[in-house]
Amino acid sequence: MSTTAAQRFLRDAAEKSADLVHRDLIRRGMESYDAAHLAGRARIKDWEAARQKCQEIKREAINHLDRYLLQFEEKVIARGGHVFWAADSEEACTYVKNLATRLGVRTVVKSKSMVTEEIHLSPALEKVGIKVWETDFGEYIVQLRDEPPYHIVTPAMHLNRGQIAKLFREKVDPKIDSDDPAYLMGAARRKLRQAFFAAEMGISGANFLVADAGVIAISTNEGNGRLCTSVPRIHVVVTGIEKVIPRLEDLAVLWPVLATSGTGQGITTYSTLIGGPRQPGEVDGPEEFHVVLVDNGRSQLLADPEQREVLHCIRCGACLNICPVFRHVGGHTYGTTYPGPIGSVLTPHLAGIKEFKHLSYASSLCGACTSVCPVKIDLHHHLLQNRRNATEAGATKSSERLMFRAWRSIMLHPRMYALGGWSMRNALRIIYGLGLAGSILDPMRVWNRHRSPVPLPSESFRARWRKGLGAN
Amino acid sequence: MAQTENPSRDRILGRIHAGLRTVIPEPAATRSDRIIFEPINDPLKRFQQECVANLMECTLTGDCAASAGQLSKVLQSLPDGEAFLQDHPSLRRLIELAVPERAVRWSTQGSPAEASQATITLAEALIAQTGSILVTASCGGRGASVIAPCHIVYATAAQLVPDLASALGRLSQQRSLDRNSFACVISGSSRTADIEKILVQGAHGPRRLVVILQTGGY
Repeated sequence: MSTTAAQRFLRDAAEKSADLVHRDLIRRGMESYDAAHLAGRARIKDWEAARQKCQEIKREAINHLDRYLLQFEEKVIARGGHVFWAADSEEACTYVKNLATRLGVRTVVKSKSMVTEEIHLSPALEKVGIKVWETDFGEYIVQLRDEPPYHIVTPAMHLNRGQIAKLFREKVDPKIDSDDPAYLMGAARRKLRQAFFAAEMGISGANFLVADAGVIAISTNEGNGRLCTSVPRIHVVVTGIEKVIPRLEDLAVLWPVLATSGTGQGITTYSTLIGGPRQPGEVDGPEEFHVVLVDNGRSQLLADPEQREVLHCIRCGACLNICPVFRHVGGHTYGTTYPGPIGSVLTPHLAGIKEFKHLSYASSLCGACTSVCPVKIDLHHHLLQNRRNATEAGATKSSERLMFRAWRSIMLHPRMYALGGWSMRNALRIIYGLGLAGSILDPMRVWNRHRSPVPLPSESFRARWRKGLGAN
Repeated sequence: MAQTENPSRDRILGRIHAGLRTVIPEPAATRSDRIIFEPINDPLKRFQQECVANLMECTLTGDCAASAGQLSKVLQSLPDGEAFLQDHPSLRRLIELAVPERAVRWSTQGSPAEASQATITLAEALIAQTGSILVTASCGGRGASVIAPCHIVYATAAQLVPDLASALGRLSQQRSLDRNSFACVISGSSRTADIEKILVQGAHGPRRLVVILQTGGY
């Protein structure tokens, strides 16, 4: 049976919002994030000035994207690195696959990278017999469960320690006998250490590409990103073209703001800069360094005057954490690489407005996402624009268009409006009176199925207005 | 070296040029007088405070002999196993005074072994604002700060800079990244909070980051 992405979303959203264990886990996770985020913001003297500065840095970078990418490329090549420009997922995956095959790679260690999720790099490598190890602890857990990441910063947020201990007993070591997080991390560390030292290739993402210095910047807490980029003999960076920033000094504000928005830290534990393979005289480091710059629909957004700024996103996850919809339905319900508000804005551009237009409605338009975005992306208005764009592109159902035409004409004719209100009040009174609220005969079924009906007013607003409501 | 074949490079650049032809009016830039981060008046005090917040160990010493004593104490607290050291005259002098009862491997002899118990390096700078140490590939290589369970940094107070902006500015001015393929701002030991947001110290990298901060020169 084929279901559409919208049907799957509705089904999974209903399931997840009724799953009280899941909701409790997310609530506790988000409460802990909220406290850390607020404390982190308080450590910055002028948070609004910091956001404004980050917005300006990213705006300058995106408005001169060609110039900064070329500057970055030139520097990397000068240090003996390679830069490959991939128009889409297929080109990016083929490049990495061919490189791995040519250089005799059998094992790959990966640090966290949302772009590699977007282009489905791991399945492409596994198809040609290459073993891929996710080494971020959360990513390792979801890889063992054969699941995509739940959240762009904390991939295994939907699991509790008991579930993870059980998973480790089944997949890592049957002798695991504790669900203590430090103990479980120790077990993963021992297993993954073997992988780090056996792998021929390390694959990482990049949080930023610094144009003037020609280096990539990676922020990681666990140190797995450090090992992936230090131990194997080949390092491949897979990243989006929009990650470029003009100057090294820009990181003096971007690093603290990314860390504060992502986890509430003042700065991520390892804020790393890498500009090429091991240089003459250096003790260690990979012999080969490749940067794959992925377009995959991003350049199309440049021509959109309303939504170009979506390319400013630094993938901190703050909009997911604050979103009341995300907090109820969770990350997997979205069925997209990027969940939450930023994913709902971006996915229709990357994967098609027709199939993903429903995501624009997965929002109460409360604007909480916009209020926390560290680069000030006007997220909730972009969701509104996507709704409009979907309608203009004719991606809506004919029944929906017909309904809105009828609604428009009723709104333009006061008598019809009054008649409509009167009929609805009386029809609902009868339905509720017969105890049919929430049944298939109830026009308010979607609401009343899981809730008590809202009490019906005895008369219309217009009638109350005439009686002097206006004067009060 | 062979040029990377890049069939889509021009096409992507063409799409970028075409997209950027749409001109979007830019709002006025921020007033430059807005101060984002609290100015740092006492870098040493701030560095020590941030080290505590980052769960690092920072000990102030007066001279080389005191630093060697501190190093011995830290090494004695660690399990048996090799120590890896950045090959630098100041660390050679320190190790002569500390006389560790364990095998020592210098960075000129290769990269640190996976089983190393400690790595001992210098830093390029210490950053007061974030309680961080700045290392480059010159500080014993990439693995020196991440492979062993304990990373010990021997630094002097003269290496303190107030904030990230000055540390990054110095990297740019001295063109350090032209000579080094790697640099890292390290702010504590490796950690994770991937299970129920509970902090675990010691993930894939060191469980301990120890700074021996000498108030006098090396």
